[in-house]
Amino acid sequence: MDEAVNRQEKQRPRTGVFVCHCGINIAGTVKIPEVLERVGEMPGVAVTKDYKYCCSDPGQQMIRDSIKSDNLGRVVVACCSPTLHETTFRNACAEAGLNPYQCEIANIREQCAWVTEDKDKATEKATEIIRTTKAKVENDVPLEAITVPINKRALVIGAGIAGIQAALDIANAGFEVVLVEKEPSIGGHMAQLSETFPTLDCSQCILTPRTVETGRHPKIKLMTYSEVDGVSGYVGNFKVKIRQKARYVDFKTCTGCGACLEKCPGRTESRFERGLTKGKAIYRLLPQAVPNKPVIDAEACIYLQKGKCGNCAKVCPTGAIRYDDTDKYVEEEVGAIVLATGYELFDAARLGSYGFGLVPDVIDGLAFERLLSASGPTSGEVKRPSDGKVPKKVVFVQCAGSRDSTNGVPYCSKICCMYTAKQAILYKHRVHDGEATICYIDVRTPGKGFEEFYKRATDDGVTYIRGKPSKIFRRGDKTVVWAADTLAGRKVELEADLVVLATAVVANPDGVALARKLKTQIDAHGFMTEAHPKLRPVETLTAGYFLAGCGQGPKDIPETVAQASAAAAKVLAMFGNTRLTHSPTTAQVDEEICVGCGYCERTCAYEAVKVDPAKKKAVVNAALCEGCGACAVACPSGAMTHKNATKKAIFEMADSF
Amino acid sequence: MTKYVYYPGCTLYTKARSLDQCARKAAEKVGFELTEMPSWNCCGAIYNATNDDLAAQVGSVRNLAKASQIGNKLVTLCAACHNVLKRVQNRLDAPGNEVQSERLKTFVDEEFVQPVRVLHYLEVLKQDIGFEAIKSKVVKPLAKLKVASYYGCLMVRPREVLEFDDPENPRVMDDLMRVLGAEPTRFDFKAECCGGYLVVNRRDVAKGASQKILDNAKEWGAEAIVTTCPLCQYNLDKLRATTDGCLPVFYFTQLLGVAVGLGQGELGLDHNSGDPVGFLKSKGLL
Repeated sequence: MDEAVNRQEKQRPRTGVFVCHCGINIAGTVKIPEVLERVGEMPGVAVTKDYKYCCSDPGQQMIRDSIKSDNLGRVVVACCSPTLHETTFRNACAEAGLNPYQCEIANIREQCAWVTEDKDKATEKATEIIRTTKAKVENDVPLEAITVPINKRALVIGAGIAGIQAALDIANAGFEVVLVEKEPSIGGHMAQLSETFPTLDCSQCILTPRTVETGRHPKIKLMTYSEVDGVSGYVGNFKVKIRQKARYVDFKTCTGCGACLEKCPGRTESRFERGLTKGKAIYRLLPQAVPNKPVIDAEACIYLQKGKCGNCAKVCPTGAIRYDDTDKYVEEEVGAIVLATGYELFDAARLGSYGFGLVPDVIDGLAFERLLSASGPTSGEVKRPSDGKVPKKVVFVQCAGSRDSTNGVPYCSKICCMYTAKQAILYKHRVHDGEATICYIDVRTPGKGFEEFYKRATDDGVTYIRGKPSKIFRRGDKTVVWAADTLAGRKVELEADLVVLATAVVANPDGVALARKLKTQIDAHGFMTEAHPKLRPVETLTAGYFLAGCGQGPKDIPETVAQASAAAAKVLAMFGNTRLTHSPTTAQVDEEICVGCGYCERTCAYEAVKVDPAKKKAVVNAALCEGCGACAVACPSGAMTHKNATKKAIFEMADSF
Repeated sequence: MTKYVYYPGCTLYTKARSLDQCARKAAEKVGFELTEMPSWNCCGAIYNATNDDLAAQVGSVRNLAKASQIGNKLVTLCAACHNVLKRVQNRLDAPGNEVQSERLKTFVDEEFVQPVRVLHYLEVLKQDIGFEAIKSKVVKPLAKLKVASYYGCLMVRPREVLEFDDPENPRVMDDLMRVLGAEPTRFDFKAECCGGYLVVNRRDVAKGASQKILDNAKEWGAEAIVTTCPLCQYNLDKLRATTDGCLPVFYFTQLLGVAVGLGQGELGLDHNSGDPVGFLKSKGLL
């Protein structure tokens, strides 16, 4: 053998390759023995081993033992995606004394075994993936993890029941919380509800103690009528820009006496009352609001639009009205962020055949909650919108929008079966001679006490008809529902006094916009995506962001509260550390070469690279750098490189293939 | 003045002459010209597609080929013709349908010179002319006439192919009527079945279907109904002829004609049952 080659071979690190079967996930498609044989022949491969589940304790032990007994300098684990088990195997290597950044994952599951049924091609591809990964690992240098301090203060976005629960849990553990809510007061949609299923306890009675505690908690900085404008920084050290919308009422001076509310002549559609009644220009969402201080809707305010009126300023005993108020921006520094942006209801007017927005006595579920609520526009008396009469026959329509891909809502909204049953029961309680009919596709009751609750509805005389209505229209003062009784196999025409649509739950559009701004993942329907659907349900793939409530997907109150507490627990687990580790596989600058052209700075999506104007050299903030490599590609001089993904490593990977 | 190739179809030469006449004259008033394609043939709507899918298409293939020799946009008015021509055009042009498309074309002698897009007259008004431009051409606003716009089934379905409007709650004609000065009413039965051809052998069924539509229009306070389909017009108008207190049923082109200043003789009102002249006079529109 040529002497130079011989020397190179001697310097080549000894690499161990461990091929995981992943049960039959990989082994069912990839011919493992063949892979082992071909990989074993590659130069530099000192040992090849396989195991049914490498991530298991015996699997990890096999790797640890082999590092020691076979004197390995590098490790390649051919298994699932690095997002799942890179950390697992790097930790295992570290325990055996190997630098964890000299262990690489060859993804032969998602990128190979799962995407083909051709066993020969899968075997070929798995071999090549391992070959290129081996070329990379041979170039890996030992690195030390970067550690950064944690700002043990949390931001919770959204103060519905999810945000309230998360904020209280974190605050009660002794950490400060900034709670931001876009509405003038907290409580979210739960504040609109009457009673809650399946126990029929009053929503207000269980919510108000929480809202009061939140409002008075010394560790919670409550910012209502405010929206998060942007977030910079990184896990443990976020900087949050918050826009405090102009309230036109001085928060400190206002005592919440309510004198202004009585004298205001400005009228607007009340979103909180779902359009059932007119709201005023100066308003609070409900008398029990926290904080109990009104704000002015500038668009409806006669003074702000026309310069006349000024009634509220005249009657305010403390002189709290500020017509010259403007939006203000404040910055908060936090270490973790809980996203609890909640849901909205699907716009039922998009269901052209259901007459919503056209026929006055067709309303949605939240509007019916307001009709049932003691604090609602009818003080809990069920009166229909068209003429204020008590409806003697109410038809409820489930799946109004849900489970219908033509509306873009192919999913089940999860809560409608139960809240419709609840609304029918409550209606029967209020109107004893009333008839409640529910048109449904399926009744889904997978929750504690849910099936019993559904049984109670049928026992109370609620009629269930299986079939999706085709048309809802007006005839005289009646609202007619054309439906099908698919169990009896016939068409039915129901003449109702009031029709309630159980409209689909959709992601809050403001939450979707926020997720886009924060660059955290959302799914096709705008719901925020968890890091792992089963094992990491409240984390996101962006470190430091956690999820709670319906912003992640439709769910009921118990599930929302459980998830919010889980998110809080995750935040607290993070706050239990003194410092956070950050991957050292970041960009680095060779100052000898760098001319300070600034291409890297313009390319960086994380604001991690800046050109030092004095030195005219690029500087990398390693704590901010996510190691995406964009700057290294953009750099025209080759001064910017990526640790353990150098140009040399990448070219060798390509050449080895 | 933009010129369009125009396919009237058989009904517009017979029962629905007023739909055709008003459309041609109103077009000139609002700024486009319809050039009737020479020697057009049946669109194929009379063939029962479940019995003979092919025959229903071949007629339209020939019409489209001939139209392609004159222009690339073919304008229709009759809802049935529009539906058939549009669906055939869609089949010919659909990606992945090349083999069937070529096969269909071999049935006719005429060659395709260019792809042809089938447009309904309403689409020309909305997309090419623009409702704002039409507004400036209105000389006799429809004086808040309460109009229910009835679309029927063929204009809007299937949604993916017709790409016309929301099939459950179409609005194009309502928007046009608003521009012309009328007041479009709410209306739940915009796209329900009028009874269609059942008027031939199950008159009771057709009558029942039409009755529901008329009743609902009245429910919402409509004074008149506009439609674009000759068969819908026939069914609803026929009912009017036999039932007291029914609403007058106009083609949308007739009310468009009134608004852009066509004379009484140009509106073809003698085809409508009842006393349409008296009705329009009572509204100060004639």
